[in-house]
Amino acid sequence: MSGTHLLETLINGLISGSIYALIGSGLALIYGTTRVLNFAHGELLMLAGYFILMFAVTLGWPVILAAIATIVLVMVLGALLQRVTIAPLMKREDWAFSVIAATIGLSIFLQSGAQLVWGEQYQGVPYFFHGVAVIGEVRMPWQRIAILVVALLVMGICGLILYRTKLGRIVRATAQDSEAALAVGIPAGLVHTTVFAISAALAGTGAILLSPLITVNPWMGTAYLLKGFAVVILGGLGSFGGAVAAGFLLGLIETISVAFVPSEWSNVIAFAFLIAVITARPEGLFAGRGA
Amino acid sequence: MLEVFGRHPYRDLLVWTVLLVVVPFLPLDDYVLHILTLFLIFAVFATGWNLTLGILGLKTLGHHAFFAIGAYASALVSHYFGVSPWITIWLGALAASFAGVVIGFPILRIRSMPHVAIVTLAFAEIVRLVLSNLKEITRGELGFWGIPPFDPIPIGARTIEFGLGNAFGSFAVAAVMFVGVHLLLLMLLKSRSGLTFLAIRDAEAAAESLGVKLAAWKIFAFAVSAAVVGLSGAVYAHYVLILTPSSVAGPDMLISLLAMIIVGGVGRFFGPIYGALLLTVTSELLRDFGDYRMLLYGALIVIFVFAAPAGIAGLKPASWRKRPGAASKPAEAT
Repeated sequence: MSGTHLLETLINGLISGSIYALIGSGLALIYGTTRVLNFAHGELLMLAGYFILMFAVTLGWPVILAAIATIVLVMVLGALLQRVTIAPLMKREDWAFSVIAATIGLSIFLQSGAQLVWGEQYQGVPYFFHGVAVIGEVRMPWQRIAILVVALLVMGICGLILYRTKLGRIVRATAQDSEAALAVGIPAGLVHTTVFAISAALAGTGAILLSPLITVNPWMGTAYLLKGFAVVILGGLGSFGGAVAAGFLLGLIETISVAFVPSEWSNVIAFAFLIAVITARPEGLFAGRGA
Repeated sequence: MLEVFGRHPYRDLLVWTVLLVVVPFLPLDDYVLHILTLFLIFAVFATGWNLTLGILGLKTLGHHAFFAIGAYASALVSHYFGVSPWITIWLGALAASFAGVVIGFPILRIRSMPHVAIVTLAFAEIVRLVLSNLKEITRGELGFWGIPPFDPIPIGARTIEFGLGNAFGSFAVAAVMFVGVHLLLLMLLKSRSGLTFLAIRDAEAAAESLGVKLAAWKIFAFAVSAAVVGLSGAVYAHYVLILTPSSVAGPDMLISLLAMIIVGGVGRFFGPIYGALLLTVTSELLRDFGDYRMLLYGALIVIFVFAAPAGIAGLKPASWRKRPGAASKPAEAT
């Protein structure tokens, strides 16, 4: 592997890793705060894909405006998902499995629904950023570089909110002990809804960045959901920072593995790595302070 | 125990058996027998999965991998080595059971339910990808065809033939498997083993403190559960005669079976059978509306989780309680 090729591989790994980090950190935020595995998270990503397609392509809005509208809409959906399906189930004794089952059902329902509404065809979104960056011998389309930059920016903002603001303290307090948080006057229910909305915004950002590269289709969320869950586990029990780190690690493992094995085996390696990590370190690779 | 098995589990199984013996002699066309054959295969699959999901209480989401392993193992060995499917289906069950033990070990280390769900899901994804990538052996997503049907059995002047298109023989094989598996599982679960599984489900720490070896019991449950699911996969392979990785180990299979178990009743012995019957028949009725099948399954899962978490089987005890006299009897241990 030449130096240039190695560098390109690393950058590509970081780019796919940043998408995994966006999706995984959203799932980790939910898991850390509510202990819920949201199997419908991938469908929030898919719906955001259709929203950006509608706003930016069909309606022809400027990209920034379309992106903001998409994120606002998907945040509302995330909050709605929590209020309507998850909050009522959380009151049950066997809520953990009820929530998994209900969100799996919802996920497949939304997928087939999207297929009926928008059809099976894969719809392209044009690149938001044109041209190719040439740094030395490395050539990289700006669109791909933008994925990395925007993802880092958005996750940075989320990190700042979580660790430097009052809202963040409230979220972390609820994550540690929601009953104790309730006792000091924090509305835990509202915090849970907020967390789902933030998590949906992260997935929405992922969808906007991805849509020009992988085209919008009803199943676009499925492939990323399991990766997102892998990131949650690798990152360690719902830790936001851990999930971000694990996302990048997973992206790097995948792109580097392609150098040694045919590309159709890269997912096998990624999931085998996940099972190996769980066997050796069930608490995750980056277990530390919780989100 | 009452909640899991109902009041007379052996009698209920006998009723099923009598129904299954009568059905082939009714004037039904082959298409109905075909649907009932699929129902019987999926009922065994669902019952096998319910063993870990509902009765042991380990929320695994990767049992479609065992179905695929059983199906492909039996199909490959019978195709490439010319071994009779009557023998290879047991190899399929054995291979699935072995896989169950292998994936059981990482699961022993984790008590967090979400982790179990994700590890088993990731395992199923690995199995699907491996089957679809080993194109030289399995032909990948093009589909593995040329699977031999079960060898014909001559009975007197007649010969019973099997495989797709031979409705009677195929139904008979599926029915024998259905009754056999359920009878053996019922005997296992009504014994001390069943009590141990339920004890682990209801109070793991308490069971352990009373001397239940958790690790050994969980691995045992995994091995049995995977073997049952693998056997149903093998019989499926020699019935439909073509397999693709995404049809047996893809997300649609996961959703269909999860829907059957949830609609029928998680953790009820007969629940998954009702679920399998209801959903196999409905999805055949909706065949002309192919796109709606998954929409329906998704909606059914959500509706049942919300409105009837105990499934169809769970609707029964309420009517018993209303029956006069039943209340005066001493309550059985549940």
